[in-house]
Amino acid sequence: MNDIHIQESRDSYIIPAVDFVASTGKCIIKGESFLEETSKFYTELVDWLKDYVKNAKEIEFILQLKYFNTSTSKWILKMLSVLKQFELDGGKVKVLWYYYQDDADMRDDIKDYIYGSNLNIDMVPFTDN
Amino acid sequence: MVKKKEKYDFSLYEYHNLMNQNILVSYKGPIDERIMTVIGENILLVTNDGGDKAKNKIFKVFMELAQNVWLYSAESCKLENGKSVGLGTLVVSECGNSYTFVTGNVVNNADVVPVIEKCETINSLDRDSLREYRREQRRLANEGKPNSGNIGLIQVALTAESPLDIELTPVNDDESFLSIAVKISKDNFRNS
Repeated sequence: MNDIHIQESRDSYIIPAVDFVASTGKCIIKGESFLEETSKFYTELVDWLKDYVKNAKEIEFILQLKYFNTSTSKWILKMLSVLKQFELDGGKVKVLWYYYQDDADMRDDIKDYIYGSNLNIDMVPFTDN
Repeated sequence: MVKKKEKYDFSLYEYHNLMNQNILVSYKGPIDERIMTVIGENILLVTNDGGDKAKNKIFKVFMELAQNVWLYSAESCKLENGKSVGLGTLVVSECGNSYTFVTGNVVNNADVVPVIEKCETINSLDRDSLREYRREQRRLANEGKPNSGNIGLIQVALTAESPLDIELTPVNDDESFLSIAVKISKDNFRNS
């Protein structure tokens, strides 16, 4: 299956960087997410994940989003739901979520995703320095 | 015969003075993702108190409120590319220890009650209950259930850490002007 590589952009819309690599099972979404067609953008990612887990044993999913709008927030839960189902089916899932150390709102939000998805998510604080 | 000069019935000076009342940014017109991104970036340039933490909160609150106008305004216009986008007004002001964000747009009266009920629910909840409410709405949206909208307003209240101030002004029998304001105290930038 093909990899997905999307470059981060803030030209007209705010597009996150995406790197989904089939050979390693490492999937990264990084930056900020506020898109013209959120549904179209994330449907491709959800479909990729669904395809990938059909023949995979493990997956590493990494999020580093400084800002995402509410439309995006629904799709994050959809992606985590695919991962949770994979885990229930016997797959090994590792999820890392990087967030700015000072961003208490994001920290709370990630905790809510842990609760909502029932997945173990490693919360990793970072700074620009 | 001297042609009578037509009087322009609008004082830009008065408007300018009005806009000088601690208003950092104001905008009226079509609102879509592209315009929101540009205004959002500009707001970050003029809200200087509080560093990155403040800018992050301010940007999030602005984007969510502006999306509300974009998605729910009853007034719309067609852009060059044929896309129809909502019309509305956005104002960001600074007063003492807080920034205030106000958005306004015309709404159909038939759509008003659910929005007001949603805001009343949001204002009645403490932070933990609001987070629970957001989780529930996201779960419903993930399952494709109806009545899962307005997560953005929950997000605004959580990020701003203050209630939503709603004002409704009748425009005609079918429509009203809905204004939503929220304050962000600069103290929030100092607490973690």
